[in-house]
Amino acid sequence: MEIVVCLKPVPEAETRLRVAPDGTRLDPEGVKYVLAGYDESAVEQALLLKEATAGARVHAYSYGPAPRTEEVLRAAIALGCDAATWVEAGAASDDPIAAARALGSAIGAGPYDLVLCGKQAGDDEAGLVAAALADVLGVPEFGYAVNVRWDAGRARLTLGRVTESGLESWETPLPCVVGLQQAWNDPRTAKLPAILKSRKATIGRVAAAEAAETGRTTPEGFALPPPRIGARMIEYKTPQEAAEKLVRLLREEAKVFP
Amino acid sequence: MSSRVLVVGERRAGAIADTSLEVLDTAHRLAGDGGVAGFVAGADGEPAAASFARFGVPLVYWARELSAEDSAAGRIAPTVAAVADSIGAEVVLAGGTTFGRDLVGYLAIRWNAAVATGVTDVQRDANGLHARRPIFGGRATETRRLEGWHVALALRPHAFPRPPEAPVPGRVETVAPVEPSAGWREAKCLGVEATPTGSGPSLGDATIVVSGGRGLQAPENFHLVEELAASLGAAVGASRAVTDAGWRPGSFQVGQTGKAVSPQLYIAVGISGAIQHIVGMVSSRVIVAINSDASAPIFKVADYGIVGDLFQIVPALTAEIRKVRGT
Repeated sequence: MEIVVCLKPVPEAETRLRVAPDGTRLDPEGVKYVLAGYDESAVEQALLLKEATAGARVHAYSYGPAPRTEEVLRAAIALGCDAATWVEAGAASDDPIAAARALGSAIGAGPYDLVLCGKQAGDDEAGLVAAALADVLGVPEFGYAVNVRWDAGRARLTLGRVTESGLESWETPLPCVVGLQQAWNDPRTAKLPAILKSRKATIGRVAAAEAAETGRTTPEGFALPPPRIGARMIEYKTPQEAAEKLVRLLREEAKVFP
Repeated sequence: MSSRVLVVGERRAGAIADTSLEVLDTAHRLAGDGGVAGFVAGADGEPAAASFARFGVPLVYWARELSAEDSAAGRIAPTVAAVADSIGAEVVLAGGTTFGRDLVGYLAIRWNAAVATGVTDVQRDANGLHARRPIFGGRATETRRLEGWHVALALRPHAFPRPPEAPVPGRVETVAPVEPSAGWREAKCLGVEATPTGSGPSLGDATIVVSGGRGLQAPENFHLVEELAASLGAAVGASRAVTDAGWRPGSFQVGQTGKAVSPQLYIAVGISGAIQHIVGMVSSRVIVAINSDASAPIFKVADYGIVGDLFQIVPALTAEIRKVRGT
């Protein structure tokens, strides 16, 4: 089984957000990039499936500009991925649909059975790539997925989908795309020798197809909300008084219920 | 300026989802004279289609033969695209649920649409449509211009009001489905297990969320959070500490690796406010924090704070809410 995992580098969670001088995007100055949280989950899921399936291989792809893309791909190799391909991005690199088209043309050119993505990245929170990528490849997509297992005997992938109504149970043949919502409590970390070895690994490189470079959305504004000034602390002598004061504020000032 | 707008409805417990009704104001505003049409799929979709019609959608297309006990958008997207084309729609709107977000992802390719998810505002000017959306867990907002003839947007749940019922209901017409790609033929939904939320709404749907954290000290104390939630008709959430410890399943987790929620009111009980949690709830309209530690970071993002013993405060609050709401 050829497992593909799609990786996006995003600013680390602790990044102090600042507006770029042109006012349309995050100021990239001094931003440190890390692998997006759900993509990290997707790598762990890919490696677990590989370990449970004889002959399985994991191929990591990342779309975006260097050097951050190359760094997350090397990290994926250090964790145990077998191959990595950088899909070079041009000007439209922040458009998720441009990403899906570029990844789709690169992944579709090689062998693939299962494509794993994180359900969304923590920067733009668009959550669009899995579904769009599936439609580029012409295969089904299962978003918000958990508990992904491969039943080799029946040649079916089984998974759950976490929706507003509950947990859906699915089974499907391959190929397909899965947008992962799983959070692992203790995903593996790379060992030092593997990290050192990953520095010498060959990273495949493909240019994004020209058609894929046409993003359909253009960022034109990036704004930070006024800083929250901190909570109004409720003074009280008894718990009943605290409750009465809070309920009065919620009804009369915040107007969240009648 | 006007354009035709197709709103895609989602069923929930036999009716239309609130999140689908919330897109109607925006749909009418963008449509101007162009008109709004609705779309609902599934053999059991008729009540949902009818309630869409009751809330002011003049014509609702019902794809009866599309099996849709599940919420897989990929099965439905080809029919949505075909209906949009057949009525000359330029804009497709859906609620920004798991279904709606996946749907616009498909429409980006299938219908060649400019798309955005989690949208909290849409404006039209001579240059086209502009969508505003929170990003970075609500720590920033971006505006994007949407280019081309087709636009598909998933609007953020609870960011828009639900419209009143219309004086004259619309009508429902059946529409033939378009086959999805071959892979879907063998993909099967084996069943749906309702989220164990007790009697309350689900996290993504709720307008009020009450979450509990490590401050509750032990799983047997979690009922304090559930009772407060019940008094408010709220959904129950939890911090990662609680789900990691197995007090509640992962489906309860609010935060970066759990669910991101943006209700009208969010009450954090015994949650210190790690960044992991904050990014999942900071875009809630009003935030209340109850914690014994006055220096807990949760108070920096909260609107109202109570420092004290939650084992005394929370039952008092539940009693007070029952009293004023008569619940």
